[in-house]
Amino acid sequence: MADRIFAGVMLVVTLAYGWLAFTAISAPFQYDPLGPESWPRILSVVTALCFAIIILRPDTPSMNVARPTWIRLSIMVVLLIAYAELYERLGFIIATFLFGTLAARMLGATWARAALFGAIAGVVGFLLCVELLELNLPRGLLDF
Amino acid sequence: MTEVLNGLATGFGVAFTPFNLMLVAFGCFAGTLIGALPGIGPINGVAILLPIAYGLGFPPESALILLAGIYYGAEFGGRISSILLNVPGDAGAVMTTLDGNPMARRGEAGRALSISAVASFIGGTVAVVLMTLFGPLLAKFAVAFTPSDYVALMVFAFASLASLVGANPVKTLVGATMGLMLATIGVDANTGVSRYTFGVPDLLAGIDFLIVVIGLFGMAELFHLVEQQATGKLKTLPVDSSFVKFADLAFAKWTILRSSLIGFVIGVLPGTGASVASAVTYGTEKRLAGTSGDFGNGDVRGLCAPEAANNAAATGAMVPMLTLGIPGSGTTAILLGALLMFNIQPGPLLFTQHPEIAWGLIASMYLGNIALLVINLPLVGLFARMLTLPQHYLTPLIAVLAFIGIYSIVGNPFDLFLIIALGIFGWILRKLDFSLAPVILGFVLGSLFENNLRRALSISGGDWGILLQSWQSILLYALAIAVVFVPIILGRRRKAKHV
Repeated sequence: MADRIFAGVMLVVTLAYGWLAFTAISAPFQYDPLGPESWPRILSVVTALCFAIIILRPDTPSMNVARPTWIRLSIMVVLLIAYAELYERLGFIIATFLFGTLAARMLGATWARAALFGAIAGVVGFLLCVELLELNLPRGLLDF
Repeated sequence: MTEVLNGLATGFGVAFTPFNLMLVAFGCFAGTLIGALPGIGPINGVAILLPIAYGLGFPPESALILLAGIYYGAEFGGRISSILLNVPGDAGAVMTTLDGNPMARRGEAGRALSISAVASFIGGTVAVVLMTLFGPLLAKFAVAFTPSDYVALMVFAFASLASLVGANPVKTLVGATMGLMLATIGVDANTGVSRYTFGVPDLLAGIDFLIVVIGLFGMAELFHLVEQQATGKLKTLPVDSSFVKFADLAFAKWTILRSSLIGFVIGVLPGTGASVASAVTYGTEKRLAGTSGDFGNGDVRGLCAPEAANNAAATGAMVPMLTLGIPGSGTTAILLGALLMFNIQPGPLLFTQHPEIAWGLIASMYLGNIALLVINLPLVGLFARMLTLPQHYLTPLIAVLAFIGIYSIVGNPFDLFLIIALGIFGWILRKLDFSLAPVILGFVLGSLFENNLRRALSISGGDWGILLQSWQSILLYALAIAVVFVPIILGRRRKAKHV
């Protein structure tokens, strides 16, 4: 069933991709026998056929993920989105400290150890990357 | 032959600079560490570290030497968690659990680790020697390839991918075509027409390779680890002080050599990698040993075969990448993408146009294999301790590294959301038994495939017959048909026998 749902959604995406290839993409003039639209057309047909086969003959019945795991995965996604959102605003050190602490705590570390991990990841990560390796990371609030 | 020697001399000249030597050693060390950690395999390790390596601004040959070291180092380290935890570090180390773990449970962890280290070393070294001998030959042969030959080569690559990787060929094929579709996004180089960009300026140059790699591999791996966390604590077996004995090696010498050769050949085949090689050689050795073997209960040959093979395959997979511009495995697809990021087109001309890259890489692999052996024999206790690194620190660390990599290169916070979304997509693909390697292979090969097809047809003025006009391409199509149908026929026959 999981297979069918996924393949169904992807089939719609593929058909949209194919529809664009067959209608929208065209070069004003071209010398090649094969224009920019031919290759996407071929791909869309092959891919659509493959998804159709998967819908007819699925082989993975379910995602097999327990409810607590779903919850943990959702929390992780939320944490990651927050991390991305705050990355520039708070800067690497603070954002990484918050993300590292909360993520490690959520995954089973104690509060104290999680906070220590977050602090080390933020500060050492920043010093290592910015000072030693000269990579570009946001300073955010700690812009000095 | 003199050409090979000259090339090697150039290569060692590159590899022996102190900076590159340091990168070889560091890459091998980091690779072993990544391989040893249960769950993170070579492909994820290279994917996570690629943007950081790129961001450091190294010359291309140095970046490639570092990434390749991580790649074969991880293949080398994968055995540690297989033996001590009974959890393979990656797909290539699955077969190692079968005989390696029973040995460790018998209290012979030290012996198992050191024998497998030597087998891995021999596998890797045999493969580098073969690569040195045959790589340039293959490149010379491939220089004469016409666009239509390249099309045939692509068809062969995707055909062998579909029949050898994963349980369901349709899912592998659809993975590859999804990658090919992703590659069509952006401005078409031949006509300047933009495809699937929807007016978004960021998409004109196509989707950034790094974002696809980090998202599909790094972030998807993170979700995978979060999911696995529930399965309880892992216990490692203690490493005793027993060591490899000469008698063991003498006993397994033919196994190691055979497996190295088979592993190399399988590695060279496009699309297949270490996991297929180790499974095939394990099966071969088991059949050859017959009743004399104790496979599955700690037979030395059962440990040596997959270890020699997966290291040989990892090296073998680099041959088509360097000589034809077609990667032999998912990880080499990432290495190929890395070269493209440096504006270097891998392919038959690489050996003549950029000898420092092709030969420097090959020479560094000789040194890398030695470094791996030297690092692994005494430091195995350290790596074993790394296995107990709690996953609740490792998992967030992957996110931190992925974010550093993407942000420091692209500098756009929007891409951070993009990799999270791609990570979720990649995780779903994995859950539904789509393998991710074909996606990246399709993505990397997309424009090469399309451009060669279009070039071939413009040479012939639109006559599709040109695709079948040279003996090389006919041979490749025949091979493509063979790799698709031979396993099916063999499977049927086996079934018929059993009924």
